[in-house]
Amino acid sequence: MSQITLTGVSRAFGKVGVLHDINLDILDGELIVFVGPSGCGKSTLLRLIAGLDRPTGGSIAIDGKDVTTVPAADRGLAMVFQSYALYPHMSVRQNLAFGLENARMARAEIDARIAEAARMLEIAPYLDRRPGQLSGGQRQRVAIGRAIVRNPTAFLLDEPLSNLDAELRISTRAELAALHERLSATMVYVTHDQIEAMTLADRIVVLRAGRIEQIGTPLDLYNHPANLFVAGFIGAPRMNFLPVKVAPGGTGRSSLTLDGSAGFEIDGNVSAANGDVTLGLRPHHISLADAGKGDIAARVALVEALGSETIVHTRTSGGQTMLAVVAGQYPVASGDTVDLKFDTSHLHLFDDTGQRIAVR
Amino acid sequence: MADVRNGIATRAGAMILAPVGWLANLFDAPLRMLQRRTGSNGMAVFFLAPNMLVFGIFVLFPLVINILYSMTGGGALFLGDRTFVGADQYGRLFSCGSYLDPKSCTEDLFWIAVWNTLVFVVLQVAMMVAVALVTALVLNRELRARSFWRAVFFFPVLLSPVVVGLIWRWILQRQGLLNLMVFEAGGTPVNWLVERSWAFTATIMVSVWAHVGFYSLILLAGLQAIPKDLYEAAEMDGTRPLRVFWRITLPLLAPNLLVVLVLTLIRAVQIFDEVYVLTGGGPGTSTLFLTQYIYEVGFASMLRNPGLASAASILMGAVLVVLTLIQLGIARRNEQRGKMR
Repeated sequence: MSQITLTGVSRAFGKVGVLHDINLDILDGELIVFVGPSGCGKSTLLRLIAGLDRPTGGSIAIDGKDVTTVPAADRGLAMVFQSYALYPHMSVRQNLAFGLENARMARAEIDARIAEAARMLEIAPYLDRRPGQLSGGQRQRVAIGRAIVRNPTAFLLDEPLSNLDAELRISTRAELAALHERLSATMVYVTHDQIEAMTLADRIVVLRAGRIEQIGTPLDLYNHPANLFVAGFIGAPRMNFLPVKVAPGGTGRSSLTLDGSAGFEIDGNVSAANGDVTLGLRPHHISLADAGKGDIAARVALVEALGSETIVHTRTSGGQTMLAVVAGQYPVASGDTVDLKFDTSHLHLFDDTGQRIAVR
Repeated sequence: MADVRNGIATRAGAMILAPVGWLANLFDAPLRMLQRRTGSNGMAVFFLAPNMLVFGIFVLFPLVINILYSMTGGGALFLGDRTFVGADQYGRLFSCGSYLDPKSCTEDLFWIAVWNTLVFVVLQVAMMVAVALVTALVLNRELRARSFWRAVFFFPVLLSPVVVGLIWRWILQRQGLLNLMVFEAGGTPVNWLVERSWAFTATIMVSVWAHVGFYSLILLAGLQAIPKDLYEAAEMDGTRPLRVFWRITLPLLAPNLLVVLVLTLIRAVQIFDEVYVLTGGGPGTSTLFLTQYIYEVGFASMLRNPGLASAASILMGAVLVVLTLIQLGIARRNEQRGKMR
């Protein structure tokens, strides 16, 4: 069992607060991902859990035991660093054995654990090489192996894929997911890459400026973002935002007006002070329609034909940039005028503070 | 206002640069012609020539002259007035009943100086490396006013060796600062520079004090090049501080330590000026080192013998060449290791 509980955790460097009142329960066996832009405090939070740094407020508990002041080595956690942090003067075998030797483990047990990790991660052929003689992907596996042999209560992974090239990142991501499946271990994973977060996480914690913006499963965050920040951060390409006026429509319906003229109705009542709201719509939920049959007219600014889909960058008459992703290879070119058709069943509304508005 | 200042600065710059540009253009045509005739390799030789000339006059020529002097005898200064004696001077230096007993040697002072230098090198190098390492480790920590402390340790490096010698002579002489402090503390003053063992110890301490800042700086650079991640990984691995030092810091600092070791060795073998000012080689011959022997035999003694001094300096030079080759080998290996990481 390995459950990590953060209660009111904060961290400040001098007068600069980096983390503010973080409350989080990381469940046993869960792969939780901290995601957010650079400087949001995700790595600091991981370091606090690891014990490499101390919080200035709040407490951290592992399996119900307060470890806030317990040294890193005594928390039973293992960490995979962004730079891998392999000891360059030691062989792979020595790197794997180092932590176990510190614990004065019997040689036979150390050898058995190394053999098992090497088999699992397919690094057996490199055991006598030094890290400098390995590729990025191989080093990455050794770093994970060093964590595995310690049989920790939980794994902490600090942007472990960020030094790999795009192709290797995808394959290693899959390997990590498989490893989590096999070990059923608690994993706390830090990344700034929302695709990594979406593909790996059981739950995602979105951080901004040292505060948790939302916690939820990847699809929760995608389908029901709590605010404008999460809506914009999760999903690629990012969500389109448009300022709209909302007014009561027909029975049980609301009317949304774009650009002062174009508009449409949606099911449900929307209540917003003075009627100003932000409409959010993912590019995948906008289609291109024949002239006069869409919700808003726009001029095509850029077309990115990816083969399987086409990303169309457009600019509305109100000056807003809107992206639409259409399946296949769509015959459209820069400068064309198109009509954008919104899938209103997938739209999101946010009030003037950026919080999600419930449509009743 | 700032624009006006910038404008003036630009105009002043242009006025200064204009003649420089004019001069450079003046050389353009002849250099181009030279390159056409000699090719780019010839141009390289052309540009290297002034430096090679200086090197030739002040290093290569004296070296050759020194070798020739070592094969001549007598007290005459000019080579033409000297008699060729072949390897006699070397033979005289090596003429010994037992090399372990300088008194059994024809040139007993040479062997006294050799043994003194050897003991000095062993003790001073060991002490220098140890003190430099400890200093670097301390200066690498999160200290209050760290930059100030780094400057304090580096300051003696900037002093002239003669100044170093004089400062410490004032401190260590019979009525010096140290004895004053000893006396004030109720102790008995010691003749630091007159008692043999104390004088020898003083030469080691003073040379370490004077140069440790430089070597600490090399080690400090090495320490700062060790990624912090490694220490954090070691912390996660539950490594005790002493083991971190032995298993991580020391191996990763080894290239820098080797450089420091060899540089210290080279410098220790050459020790002269601060010791000459501090003790003058005394008491007796207890702090007589090889360079001072060469200086005194060649220039200072009543019966000066430039040939013998040259022979001794050639032998010392050979030792230094070996040490320098080792240093270059280490530097090359470090470079290759750096590329591999």
